Amino acid sequence: MLLVDFLRDKLELTGTHIGCDTGHCGACTVMLNDVTVKSCLLLAAQANNSKILTIEGVSAEGELHPLQEAFLEHQGLQCGYCTPGMILSSLFLLKRNSAPSEDEIKKAIDGNLCRCTGYLGIVKAVKAAASRMQGSLNQ
Amino acid sequence: MKLRLAAPNALIDINGLTELSYIREENGVIAIGALTRHDQLSRDRIIQEKFPLLAEAANVIADQQVRNRGTIGGSLAHADPTADLPTACMTLNANIITRSENESRSIASNDFFRDFFATALKQDEIIQEVRIPIPPPRSGGAYTKLAKGHSDFALVAVAAQISLGSGDLCNAISVVLGGVGSTPTRATETEKLLVGQVIEDRLIRQASLKAAKGLTPNPDFRATSELKLKMVTTLTERTLRTAVSRARGGN
Repeated sequence: MLLVDFLRDKLELTGTHIGCDTGHCGACTVMLNDVTVKSCLLLAAQANNSKILTIEGVSAEGELHPLQEAFLEHQGLQCGYCTPGMILSSLFLLKRNSAPSEDEIKKAIDGNLCRCTGYLGIVKAVKAAASRMQGSLNQ
Repeated sequence: MKLRLAAPNALIDINGLTELSYIREENGVIAIGALTRHDQLSRDRIIQEKFPLLAEAANVIADQQVRNRGTIGGSLAHADPTADLPTACMTLNANIITRSENESRSIASNDFFRDFFATALKQDEIIQEVRIPIPPPRSGGAYTKLAKGHSDFALVAVAAQISLGSGDLCNAISVVLGGVGSTPTRATETEKLLVGQVIEDRLIRQASLKAAKGLTPNPDFRATSELKLKMVTTLTERTLRTAVSRARGGN
């Protein structure tokens, strides 16, 4: 059983999506021990004893994460199918690089396809979230 | 497995062998554990400094999620001729250390790749380590890849590593092409023209024109054979220039 099927069907955490099931689209991106992976390319058994973060865990206590807020404000989503993966990949980027350039953002979401081609909004949202998160760190 | 290239009856996950994930310098060699992730390789200071071509190759593999998970041992054992690390490791004359229950072997990367997805590995062997000799001062390398889109396999890739002596004499040169045959392919004619010669612009141009000689890359839905051959020449020249400039101490 694939990790993504385990998350969705056994744990009923359906926020993680299955887009292509071939490792191309990144809709199933989750964090495994703090790094992003495609959960359709891992067997569930391989994640035994690991820490997994899905989109359900990104917002704390019902409060949207600054990244989620920024996606909302800057229209970083159209149909929303790719959004959970986009958020996880962006989160991974911002953990490493708190002030990424536009090119760095584009490279970071290379593995996430948006079939609505809404990339402009996504890149804008990640940029906005980065400056907001930096602002809150500086306070 | 996902691409239905393999359908094994049983699988052993070796990801738990965390002791196989390391990059260290020992006796003139950089030793890279088989489970070193592409992401580690591309960001490692030692690799960036000693083998920029290897860091560059690791950095253009697929996407971040794949680089977080994929390993050097896995990439070499898989032996896709359009993949980045087989071409890079062959250029650096890496030795591949294998391990079975009773035996450890060291296989030169020149002898390791046998055919499409086929290597010198025996059924009961795994890759344990990749060992790359540290080049002398005034050495430099580069990796250039042409792909359709950012995260795809190479249509054509070129890796070059050069060591210069006094007066820009070429003491050692290694040029390997990816995506033009069933394994990474050494551009021997190019190497022959450069070794022992004083490196200058015109010679680099001449040597690059030799790189595609004798090749018959398979056309595919992304590029014709002719396009691939033209790109081999162009990319070889570009890659050699970067390698030479790095060997001279620039970037």
